[in-house]
Amino acid sequence: MYIKILIYFILGYVNITVEGFFIERFINTCISKKIFFWNTKRDKSTVFSANIGVKNFKDVAKIAKSCKCKIKLNNKKGLPFLLNRYRKRKFFALSLIGFIAVIIIISNFIWNIEIVGLEDEEIKSEIIELINHEGVSIGKYKNKIDLQNLINKIRIERDDIAWVGMKIKGTNLIMEFVLADKKPEIIDKEDFCNIIATKDGVISKVEAQNGTPVVKEGDTVKKGDILIKGEIEGKYTENRFVHSDGDVYAKVWYKETEKVYYNQIIANQTGNHERKYSININNFQINLFKTLSKFENYDTIRTIKKLKITSNFYLPVEFVINENYEKQNVSISHSKEEAIEIGTELAKSKLNETIQTESEISNIYIHTNETDEYVEVEVIYEVLEQIGTKEKL
Amino acid sequence: MKKKKNVRNKIDRMLEFPDEIALNVPKVTILKFEQMLIENYKGILEYQDFFIRVKTNIGIINVNGFNLSLEEMTTDDIIVNGKIESIDFESIVDDREE
Repeated sequence: MYIKILIYFILGYVNITVEGFFIERFINTCISKKIFFWNTKRDKSTVFSANIGVKNFKDVAKIAKSCKCKIKLNNKKGLPFLLNRYRKRKFFALSLIGFIAVIIIISNFIWNIEIVGLEDEEIKSEIIELINHEGVSIGKYKNKIDLQNLINKIRIERDDIAWVGMKIKGTNLIMEFVLADKKPEIIDKEDFCNIIATKDGVISKVEAQNGTPVVKEGDTVKKGDILIKGEIEGKYTENRFVHSDGDVYAKVWYKETEKVYYNQIIANQTGNHERKYSININNFQINLFKTLSKFENYDTIRTIKKLKITSNFYLPVEFVINENYEKQNVSISHSKEEAIEIGTELAKSKLNETIQTESEISNIYIHTNETDEYVEVEVIYEVLEQIGTKEKL
Repeated sequence: MKKKKNVRNKIDRMLEFPDEIALNVPKVTILKFEQMLIENYKGILEYQDFFIRVKTNIGIINVNGFNLSLEEMTTDDIIVNGKIESIDFESIVDDREE
């Protein structure tokens, strides 16, 4: 039923009213000639209205005449009449066709490269450089990209990537990476090895399970020195090599110095800000407002948004928002004690980042060096750490 | 004529044809007092929005109601849409009537 109506919509249909006393006969003859009606309505005892196909109209008119009914054509509907109405608007039709064509053409290129799974900006830029070298960049024709080839190239070039997945969605090239963990050099139990120091320090404890300890408590070692030798002197036999094993603990010092001036100038944001918009098309920038700011001192935060139609249909147009935040210079003066405190806090927070959590801090030393203009604070952490690693002989 | 028909009836019964095909009698299906499908009808006798008369092989079906309309009219079946109040049948006893 609905399919029939849809076909009639495409071919065109008309709404008619039939008036007369022999409407039942009219309907019966129409049915017997297999003429399809729909949306029938009976207003009064002598009036009947229905929709019929355009093709059938002539036959229906004949039947109505033979039944002594009047027939009236109310309105024409359907696709042919609809198109006929817009026939004079040539420019509209042309621009519609043009718009569709432009969208189809644009959707055949890549306008965005999305990298998933990489946090390091350096690796990201290297990867982008690599794929640019292979000829894949923003603005590339989609069908010419051989993803499998690209994946293979990246996997050959880079050791630190365990898995690469690529797919093209709309105008968006999505690359997914899984970074490989750097595997430590595993030394087989059968191999002979020394234990060497990873850091400078003073030895506090040596626990040798296998091998000959070379250092003793209180010795100062440098990075790379041998701590436990994988060689054992035999009483009756010659020297033999072993797989040395053991823990070596040492005091290691971490040092951080901070300079704190008594009089400082700090830039404070006043809270005023303004926004400037511009549009970027293929590195060609169009400013929508004057680029000069009304502030004297300001910070600028630049955010770039790529225009997209759907979540994966990017367009080659970027929308740039420059936000200017006004700032004011404020001078702050500290007393000596305050300056020392600030300096130690800064240095401590920096040190805490470098030190691993498992290592225990045994001592903290703070040295200060005061001058007329500034205080120099030196914070030293003394940490008891395991410093030995195995190295093959 | 009556004999011939009896013979056909017997054959049809033997082959287990459904009655509405074998005897060309109407089959009426009503859905929730609002839609009524009449199969094997012969013609429309009267069509108003409160009263519809449909002629069939064995008699006339009268439908009373409000806002009645005929839809999906084909040569064999017809649908009556609208609020149906009552239905009655005028059966034709004489075979020669058709």
